Amino acid sequence: MSLPSITRRLARVLIVVSVAWGLAVAGVIWFTVRHEVDDLLDGTLQEAAEIIYAMLVLQGDRLPMGEGATLPAPPHEENLVWQLVSADQQVLLRSHRAPATALLPAAQIGLADAAGDWRVYGLAFGERQQMLYVAQPGADRREARYEVAGISAGGALAVGLLCAAWLRSRVRRELVPLNALSSAVAGYEPLEPGSTLDAPGRAELVPMHRAIVELGQRLAQRVSSERAFSAHAAHALRTPLAGIDAQLAVALRECPPTLVPRLRATREAAGRLRRVVTALLAMFRSGADLHWQPVELASLLERLPVDGLVVRVTQAATFQADPDLLSAALLNLLDNALRHRASEVRVSASPDDTGCTLTLQDNGSGIEPAARQRMQAALDTEQYEGHVGLGLLLADRVARAHRGGLVLHDSAPGCTVQLRLGLPPALPTAR
Amino acid sequence: MRLLLLEDDLILGEGLRDFLRSEGHRVDWFQRLLDVSPMSGEPYDALLVDWQLPDGSGLDWVRSLRRRGNPTPVLMLTARDLLSDRLKGLDSGADDYLVKPFQPEELVARIRAVCRRASGAAGPRLRFAEVELDLAAKSATLGGVRADLTAREWALLEALALRAGCIVSKSDLDGLVFGQDSEVASNALEVHISGIRRKLGRGLIETVRGLGYRITA
Repeated sequence: MSLPSITRRLARVLIVVSVAWGLAVAGVIWFTVRHEVDDLLDGTLQEAAEIIYAMLVLQGDRLPMGEGATLPAPPHEENLVWQLVSADQQVLLRSHRAPATALLPAAQIGLADAAGDWRVYGLAFGERQQMLYVAQPGADRREARYEVAGISAGGALAVGLLCAAWLRSRVRRELVPLNALSSAVAGYEPLEPGSTLDAPGRAELVPMHRAIVELGQRLAQRVSSERAFSAHAAHALRTPLAGIDAQLAVALRECPPTLVPRLRATREAAGRLRRVVTALLAMFRSGADLHWQPVELASLLERLPVDGLVVRVTQAATFQADPDLLSAALLNLLDNALRHRASEVRVSASPDDTGCTLTLQDNGSGIEPAARQRMQAALDTEQYEGHVGLGLLLADRVARAHRGGLVLHDSAPGCTVQLRLGLPPALPTAR
Repeated sequence: MRLLLLEDDLILGEGLRDFLRSEGHRVDWFQRLLDVSPMSGEPYDALLVDWQLPDGSGLDWVRSLRRRGNPTPVLMLTARDLLSDRLKGLDSGADDYLVKPFQPEELVARIRAVCRRASGAAGPRLRFAEVELDLAAKSATLGGVRADLTAREWALLEALALRAGCIVSKSDLDGLVFGQDSEVASNALEVHISGIRRKLGRGLIETVRGLGYRITA
């Protein structure tokens, strides 16, 4: 399952915020600038009208007043046009780009919007109710507004995106101490004396650092007491068990023939006890780590002391496992088969890219399907109590310690158990 | 074989001693290092040593034996099953390492194996001209015909066979075959040598005057 990434989430938020900020700034600028530009252009229009008025008054006698007459001028772009209109709306004189008809249908002093997309400023001229109109095309005014707005918005957005990129890089830099703490935790071995966790690089990580150190200390104390118990139990249990077996072996040789079956059964029971205790001690010992090494199935099985059971290897292989733990698991599974009246167990190993599956098929009395399902459910959920015996429990724990599991199958006759083993953890690569 | 067993646990020590004796070995059992010290000069075929003893470490004792040049095969018997412990035990001079709980039958087989390795033999059968010894079955044949040896004769033959090519002194043979048994007649060794020669041929055991006896491969 892919978890949300803090970096990606923050980067997304920063981009959205930056774009929204840019747009908001652009909107405000647009709203403000539009009025200012209009005022500026209207002021320009008015000033231009007043200058032209003065020029016409001073030079009026020398100008060619007539119907639609234009002033001579070299070819040029004209952003301002003007008309001198008579009282009956006849254009007496105009700039060469100005329309031949009056810009306004009736005389109007001051600013007005005229048909044909003109912004017009009108001034009364002379004593014959003539009008001077100075106009600017609406397209020019819009272009000015759009240019101002576009440049403002583009600038704001660019600043926003630059800020987003900078903040993203900043976020990454701020997360570096978190990565450093993760690496430090990965190399932290609280069970090893003198092992310490490097101090975090940010104040916000101090509580996490403290919690991890305290967890490590609790874990170390617990493992230490378990190891102490394990070592004590190993010595306290292993020697008497060896002594019991040695005494029984001697007794079997010295006793009258009538006692031999009883003593043999007692020795077999002691042997089973010995195997279970050995497996339990191995499990205790392996609480922290497994001794992964190449294991050859046939030679491993050869060393397992199971009397009264023929063990055949149908498919041999070499795979990675902890040989002691695996021996304990296999011993318990073989012991289970023996107690379920099996005389033969066929064992195969099937290695693949992700580990190895050991299959044990016996010819014993087998397990009822309903009981098998209950046992499998108990194994899958690790709720062993009351559902599976110590042998299966141990085998399952060993399989899980090897990153695998235990699966029971229906088979006739007998029972088939699959013990799945994963691969050892990869060694950290050198940087 | 003559074996020294150093094991402080009463039940296990007694059980192993009796089992090994029932296998035909002579066993001197000690529970403390203090008791075993006077026996350091005695000849043994193998030493069975517990790691943790009440008055010290069996491993340190083995280490001191090796420092003094004692080559007797040593088998460590211990409850310590960690790989590091096993490596430490073997690196300290032990020839084999048996983790408790073990079955005495396995111990016997391992004793045979370490003694065989110490003698330079490749397998459990040793051959000297027409004579073949099966150390596991404790049997000897001459020209394929099984010889009926007594327990003492077999012990004597085995002691010489495991040291084939070497002269074994009478006192060492006395120690290896009869151990601390004070009820043995002074000429018992010669009587048993004579019995072996009668059953397996005169050429098998060579008398080296003034020094002892030798089997030549």
